[in-house]
Amino acid sequence: MRRWLPWMALAVMVAVALVVAAGSGSKGAQSETARAARLDAQIRCPTCKGLSAAESDAEAARAIRAEVAKEVHEGRSDGAILSSIAGRYGSDILLRPSASGFDELVWVLPVAAFVVAIAGLALAFRRWHRSTVGSVTDADRAVVAEARGR
Amino acid sequence: MALFVALLATRAPAVDKQATSPLLGKPAPDIQGVDLAGQPARVAADRGRFVLVNFFASWCVPCQQEHPQLERFVAMHKAKGDATVFGVIFDDTTANARAFVQRSGGDWPIVADPGGTVALDYGVRGPPESYLIGPDGTVLAKFIGAVTADGLDRILARASA
Repeated sequence: MRRWLPWMALAVMVAVALVVAAGSGSKGAQSETARAARLDAQIRCPTCKGLSAAESDAEAARAIRAEVAKEVHEGRSDGAILSSIAGRYGSDILLRPSASGFDELVWVLPVAAFVVAIAGLALAFRRWHRSTVGSVTDADRAVVAEARGR
Repeated sequence: MALFVALLATRAPAVDKQATSPLLGKPAPDIQGVDLAGQPARVAADRGRFVLVNFFASWCVPCQQEHPQLERFVAMHKAKGDATVFGVIFDDTTANARAFVQRSGGDWPIVADPGGTVALDYGVRGPPESYLIGPDGTVLAKFIGAVTADGLDRILARASA
């Protein structure tokens, strides 16, 4: 079991790194325009199919872009701006699920599945290793002793 | 397959289809502007009675089918004065909307929505879409697609009970 501890620790570290990377990807200094554009790309165009508010030229998408730009200029946080839009249209207007409530499962489940998969592989390798080693019988010892005695 | 297509093509459009909205149970965003007759119009001025805020466009076929039902609804409640309609032009020009109303009738206030800010406040995804506002100013129901006068009356009766 001790031999697998480093692998288990590595798996946990990778999982934690993935979670941290997912959470910190939106941070960093950005201009208001770039920040608004990034948020626009996370909002669905309400009157289009398969387009974000950033990509569409529909009036509803333009209205969303104007609202996002206004709220960015007012200094509101990304979460507050996305909540403000979702508070009018519903959470399905967001292309990227929020990291809270039921939607949190979208982020947690892949990480949990990865950790379980690594643990399963570790157990499988361990069993495989044991089965290949096998046990030494008296007949085996006799063969070895005879060989040594020659 | 042909039978299925024929069935769909001849079916009446879905009406009075209620939908969820984050606005349900919350104060309705106010709408104010100038109506097609050039008079100031405001939703909050209708507190004390039911108001159906109706987002429509002249190019929208279900809106054209719905319009007579809105006229009937307004006529049914005119004497009692307990309910009315407030129209908002969605992604259309005021000239087109005016021509549509002159052609189809209707004397309820209709305002333009330059920049789509009113539609944004209500979370409108496409016309026709309507929101029923109660006498206290809270949003009672959201309808996606065409509404009928009878369907609205049933909901008004439940809300008033």
